[in-house]
Amino acid sequence: MLACAIVALGALLFGVGHAAENLTHPPARVSVGAGAWLVLVGVAIVWFQGSRLARSRLASTVAWVSAAVLTLSAVVWGGLGTTGIALEYGQQDVFWILTVNHILLTLAGTAIAAVIGVPLGIWAARSRIVRGTAIPFAGLVQTIPSLALFGLLIVPLTLLGLPTIGTVPALIALTLYALLPIVRNTYLGVAGVDEAVVDAGRGMGMSGSELLLRVELPLALPLILEGLRAALVLTVGIAAVMAIAGAQDLGTLVFLGFGVQANDLVLLGALPMVVLAIIADQGMRALEREFVSPGIRPGREEPA
Amino acid sequence: MITLEHLTKRYGERLAVDDLSFEVADGEVAVLIGPSGCGKTTTLRMINRLIEPSAGRIFIDGTDATTLKPEELRRHIGYVIQSVGLFPHLTVAENIATVPRLLGWKSDRIRPRTSELLELVGLPSSEYAEKYPRQLSGGEAQRVGVARALAADPPVLLMDEPFGAVDPLNRDRLQAEFARIQRELKKTVVFVTHDIDEAIRLADKIALMREGRLQQYDAPEMLLDHPANKFVHDFVGADAALKRLGRVRVDRVMRTAVPRAADGDRTAIDAAACSPERFVYLTDVAGVLTGWVDCRVLDRGTPPSEAETPVDWHEAAVHPDASLKEALSRMLALGYRAVPVVDEEGRLLGDVSLMDVERTMESGDAHMDAPGKGGEA
Repeated sequence: MLACAIVALGALLFGVGHAAENLTHPPARVSVGAGAWLVLVGVAIVWFQGSRLARSRLASTVAWVSAAVLTLSAVVWGGLGTTGIALEYGQQDVFWILTVNHILLTLAGTAIAAVIGVPLGIWAARSRIVRGTAIPFAGLVQTIPSLALFGLLIVPLTLLGLPTIGTVPALIALTLYALLPIVRNTYLGVAGVDEAVVDAGRGMGMSGSELLLRVELPLALPLILEGLRAALVLTVGIAAVMAIAGAQDLGTLVFLGFGVQANDLVLLGALPMVVLAIIADQGMRALEREFVSPGIRPGREEPA
Repeated sequence: MITLEHLTKRYGERLAVDDLSFEVADGEVAVLIGPSGCGKTTTLRMINRLIEPSAGRIFIDGTDATTLKPEELRRHIGYVIQSVGLFPHLTVAENIATVPRLLGWKSDRIRPRTSELLELVGLPSSEYAEKYPRQLSGGEAQRVGVARALAADPPVLLMDEPFGAVDPLNRDRLQAEFARIQRELKKTVVFVTHDIDEAIRLADKIALMREGRLQQYDAPEMLLDHPANKFVHDFVGADAALKRLGRVRVDRVMRTAVPRAADGDRTAIDAAACSPERFVYLTDVAGVLTGWVDCRVLDRGTPPSEAETPVDWHEAAVHPDASLKEALSRMLALGYRAVPVVDEEGRLLGDVSLMDVERTMESGDAHMDAPGKGGEA
C-alpha cells in the first residue's frame, strides 16, 4: 500500500511539473490546480493507511526517504520548480528564517507549558483544590479565541512593561494554549494509576518521590506524551495566527499572501505548516514507541 | 515475633479496631478472620503503618514499630494484597527486584535472588523473568506477588486476602504451595481472609474478630472444639469434624504401595493382588497415571482389557500437598471410594481411600497436624 502511494506521488509530482514546464509561455505563473491537490489528498490518505498497516519501522523509513527523494528530483528535473509556489519560494529569501522561527516558537511554547503543566497535573492528582482550579482555568483559556486572547493580553503586558506585539505575547499565548492538554493528560495519567499498584508500592516501602518517579510517572507516560503531542500539533497551527500580532513565522507569509491575493504565497506558508504538524505528530509517536514500557503499550502484545 | 498491645483505631466516633492484643510467635501463621468490617484489614495495615493506630503499640521482634521510619519499617516486612498490584510497566524480574533495589542491593546479588524466588513459587525463571504482568494469568500474577514480597527475605510477611481473587481450583493450589513455602521458610505471617476453610488449613493460630473486637485467638483445633462464645461457634459452622480434615495433608495418610501396571502390562494387572477396596493403577513408562482397573469389575470375570478405564490425572487425582478434605470431596464427586495421588507431572505416588479418611477422623490425627509444622514432605 505504501509502495502504491509512493508511485502515485511520483506520477503526480512529475506530471504537475511537466505540465508547468510546458505551459510557461503565455501566463506568467502556473498555479497547481484543484484536481492535482485532490489527487495529493488521495495519495496522503493511502499513505497513512499504508503506514498504519506497515508493521516494520524499516518500511515507513524507506517510504519517507523515497518520498523526499521524489519531491526533490521532481523539483530539480521534473519541472516542479517552475510552478508558482516554487517561484514564490525563490522570491521569499526570508522563508527559512520564518520557518525556523515558527519551529522555535512552537517548541518554546510547548516546552514552557510542559515545565509548568506536568508538575501542575501531578499536583492536581494529589489535591482536590488544585484539580478544581487548574484544569477549569486551562480549559477556559482554551475556549478563548486566539485573537481575543491577544486583546486580553494587552492590559497585563502593558502593566508589566512588556511589549504587546511580537514574540513575547505570541509565546505567552502559545504557552497558555498548550497548557490544557498537558495539565489534563498528566492529571489523568497520574490519577488513573491503579490504586492497588500504589498501595503495593507504599506497602513495600517506597517514599512519595520514589513512588512518583518509579511507578506513577512511568505509568502515566503514555498519556503525558499524548498531551505533549496534542499541544505541539495545536501550537503549530496557533503560531500562524500569532503573525497577526507581529510574530515573524510562517503565518506571516499566509497573511501577506492573502493581503496581496497571491495564492501561491499563501500556500508557501501553509504547506510547510502542514508538514511541520505531521513531523511533530510522527516524532512524538516515535518518542512514545521509544520510552513507553512494552508492558503498558496499547495493542499488539496479547496476554499469554 | 509480632506483639500487638491494646491496638485501637478510631474513625471519628466509630471504633474500627478496639483494644486488640495478641502475639504471633516466630515462624507461625496467624490468620485474622471475621465478617467484613470486623477490622481485620485495618489491623493488618496498622502493622506496617499504612494506617496509623489511634492508640496501642506494635512490637516486631521487640522493636516498637512506631519508632522506625514507615518506609524503613515496610522494607523489612513482606506485603501481599488481594489485587496483587504488580507494576505493569516492569517485567516480572524487575517487579521482584523492587525491595532489593530500594535497599540498594547490587545487581549481581539481585539477579540470582530473582530466579531463586521464581523457582520457589513454581514459575521457571527462564520462561517468566522477562514477561510483563499483563501476560500472566491471575494465579501466576499472585505467585509473582508472593515472590516479590519475599525478595529481600523479610522475617515478617503480611498477606491481605492474597488468594481471594483467584478461581477455586487455583486458590487450592496456591494454598498448598503457600503451606509448602512456609514449611521451608518459616516466616512470621499475619494473614487476612474471610474464608474459614482457608484459615483452618493454613493457620497455626486464628484470630476471630467481630466489630473491631477479638473474639478468640487460638489454634484452629481449639476454635473448632472449644469455641469461646456463640459467635465463634456459629462462625466456624456445624461441620467441625469435616473442617478438621482440612488440616491433614494427603501425604500424611496416603498408601504408597499401590498395585500398578506400567504401559499396558497385562500380566501385572492379573498378578496384582486386587483387593475389592481399590484399583490397579495404569501408568505410562514415565509413571504418569493414565487409567485404572476397578477390581470389582475383574471379580465379575470381565477380561482386564475391558475393565481398563482411562482417566485424566488432572481431574481424577490429588496432589500430596492437598488436604484430606479435598481428597474426600474428590471421591464424593467422582463416586469412587479411593483417589490416586500424583505429583506435579502426574506421576503416580499412591492413593487415599475412604477408609483412610475414616481412620484419620477416629484416631484424632487431625489434631496433631498443622501446615506450619512437620519438617518432612
